[in-house]
Amino acid sequence: MTLLLRAEVQVVAADSNAGVSRLWSGLVERSAAAYASSVPEHPADDGFFGPGSVTWRLSTDLSGPVAGLRSLMIQALHPLAMAGVDQHSDWRSDPVGRLAATSSYVTTVSVGDKSTAERVSARVRRIHEHVRGVDPVTGQPYAAGDPALLLWVHAALVDSTIAAARLFGTRLSAADADRYVAEMVAAAELVGVPAAMVPAREAALDRYLDSVRPELRCTPAARESMGYLLDPPGLDPDVAEIWQDVREGTVAALPGWARDMYGYETPEPLTDGRRTEIRQALGVLDTVFLGEPGVLEARQRLALRTRAARVA
Amino acid sequence: MKKALFAALTIGAAATATVVARRARRVGGLRLNRGLAALQLALRGGARYAGNAPRLFMLAGENRQQLRNDLALQTAEDVASTLGAMKGVLMKLGQMASYVDDSLPPEARRTLGRLQDSVPPMSAELATGVITEELGMPPEQVFAEWDPEPIAAASIGQVHRAITRDGRAVAVKVQYPGIAETIAADLGNVSLLRRMLRIIAPGQDVDSLVTELRERVVEELDYRGEADNQQLFADFYDGHPTIGVPKIVRELSTRRVVTSDLATGARFSELAGWSQEERNLAAETIYRFVFRSLYDMRAFNGDPHPGNYLFHGGGKVTFLDFGLVKHFTAAELRPLMDMARDLCVENDPEAFRRSLEEAGFVQPGAPLSTDVIVEHLAVFYDTIRKPGELTITGDYSSAVVRRFFDVRSPIAPYAQVPRSYVILQRINLGVFALLGELTATADWRGIAEEIWPFVQAPPSTPMGAAEAAWRGGRAQRLAGPADPVRPLR
Repeated sequence: MTLLLRAEVQVVAADSNAGVSRLWSGLVERSAAAYASSVPEHPADDGFFGPGSVTWRLSTDLSGPVAGLRSLMIQALHPLAMAGVDQHSDWRSDPVGRLAATSSYVTTVSVGDKSTAERVSARVRRIHEHVRGVDPVTGQPYAAGDPALLLWVHAALVDSTIAAARLFGTRLSAADADRYVAEMVAAAELVGVPAAMVPAREAALDRYLDSVRPELRCTPAARESMGYLLDPPGLDPDVAEIWQDVREGTVAALPGWARDMYGYETPEPLTDGRRTEIRQALGVLDTVFLGEPGVLEARQRLALRTRAARVA
Repeated sequence: MKKALFAALTIGAAATATVVARRARRVGGLRLNRGLAALQLALRGGARYAGNAPRLFMLAGENRQQLRNDLALQTAEDVASTLGAMKGVLMKLGQMASYVDDSLPPEARRTLGRLQDSVPPMSAELATGVITEELGMPPEQVFAEWDPEPIAAASIGQVHRAITRDGRAVAVKVQYPGIAETIAADLGNVSLLRRMLRIIAPGQDVDSLVTELRERVVEELDYRGEADNQQLFADFYDGHPTIGVPKIVRELSTRRVVTSDLATGARFSELAGWSQEERNLAAETIYRFVFRSLYDMRAFNGDPHPGNYLFHGGGKVTFLDFGLVKHFTAAELRPLMDMARDLCVENDPEAFRRSLEEAGFVQPGAPLSTDVIVEHLAVFYDTIRKPGELTITGDYSSAVVRRFFDVRSPIAPYAQVPRSYVILQRINLGVFALLGELTATADWRGIAEEIWPFVQAPPSTPMGAAEAAWRGGRAQRLAGPADPVRPLR
């Protein structure tokens, strides 16, 4: 899942206004295409999670954009993870393609059949073998295949998906959150983290996140890239306003310590009204996504399998 | 025609996209072009979502029903995740847009018009729950017979067949649970609506668009208004030789349930296989219904969706769905009559111009010759300017639509459609599109002269004669003491 970080941060650094604007729309279209093609039409099996899983349910939740942004922001606070992205990302040549590949990876692992999920994970592990270096900020060496780094990236994603769904998504009970954390252990294993290292309950996940906090730093690379991601220059003002809702939702969903590290003032707690408004903006984005070719069909393929599982 | 564009947007904001897009390219400004990309995103959301689903159901062929049932919304949460968080509002936009996008081929426009079909039906249990909440008992107890399988999708709901305890075959329209609250709440987010509409329609009066959109949609959320309107039309056309409107069963109609007499008949799409003579008769009935309602009831059913008609042969047509009815005051109607009379009967261009100006369609004192004004607006009257048979073709209806959206027109800067008449553009954008698809031939002027209150000509067709007889009998009935027709609003 380091790949997730690497690819998505690419959005961050496009420089010309026109480029960002083009990037932004191409991003929706190509992520959508990647999503549609990652939901299997003729699956060999139900994959590592299956239609009754919380993972499947959350994979179509409209809180997705907030979950994604929040996990990137948390992942970036680990200086070694950030350094890996900063030094090895190939976003300059094909940023949107990289992001599409990432979203395709996440979707394939979540809802694909087992052999496909294993195949794409093996490829990610091979790529990680070459991502090594020395972090300029801490002076520490890093390797993307390091289970400790992979675990951080994994934990940030799982924690963010839960936090975003609780704030803006469909109902998520404490038991379902625990189930989700337990389910996702399989995803961490696929990318190379021994299962024994991976928290399998929400409380354990929280303890793990707390335990890593002393290692975290908001490096200049993290600050710059995340600032760019949350406030992409060159957006049309009206689109920027909708994006602003997503950004506000993301900052509200961050844990206080992460907000502090980025230097955000502690925001007022979200009112119900404001929360609804952000949900509505997310609904617009989700509808845009659904409107892309193949996305509705992919969602319906998942829905049909979920319904069938519910009946069985 | 910037102002006309605005007017069209107020009835169906979204998919005038292409029109706006063309303007944007013409203007060529960076901001507009960038807005265009965003607009395409926002629009494709509503429109393509709508377009995709019916196609998917079609692909499934014989499994269509199976697939739909498999996807049935089973819980209020399913409803919320399908139509909540602005999704229902966006789909509403896309649905209305199907009448105002001039670049869409007819089949695409129809697909969009069937937007509601893309929402899966409710499961039998979910529909039962709504009936129980609204009518106090489960449907099996309320009705002598209840068919749990829906027969049609409806605006934010679906239609079931049933037989009442006193043996009446009825259609029961059931609203999705929670949807009214969700959409009403989403319409409350004026700032987001404003942003979306600003992207969709840069440079327009967004606040008016938002107001119009909210009013239209909120109206549709409460089925009681629809039931009132339908009963009004049913009473007015009671006994009419070719126009049928199913009567409402009051005691089984509530905010989220409308029960009316069950009507069966051929669908619009089946008319393609009918003789041209039959198609002409059906078209004549639709035409009479639209203008008789407008001039005699001062009401217009603003939803000329092909799914809202059932055909029975011999020109008999049943009119369904009165969710979007506009009532006019006498003062609002008078300028419309004046315009038709000035141009078509008196042949007085200057008077026509004055009537246009008085009604607010054309700015007074615009630096335009009256000839130019007539040349550009007369197309809307082409079917009724001269007596004699005339065929309404698809080309004609597209020409009307194109003229309506023509931003290069010299009168564009001085023309607009005042808000109370906006809905009438559905005559041009919806009714004429239907008649064009039927390639209907009739002496439209002759029919219009029968209906125009300022002419009241004798019947011009056999159907006209039958209608005249009905009106005569009706006048007698109305003169009687027990008048069942409620006063017009």
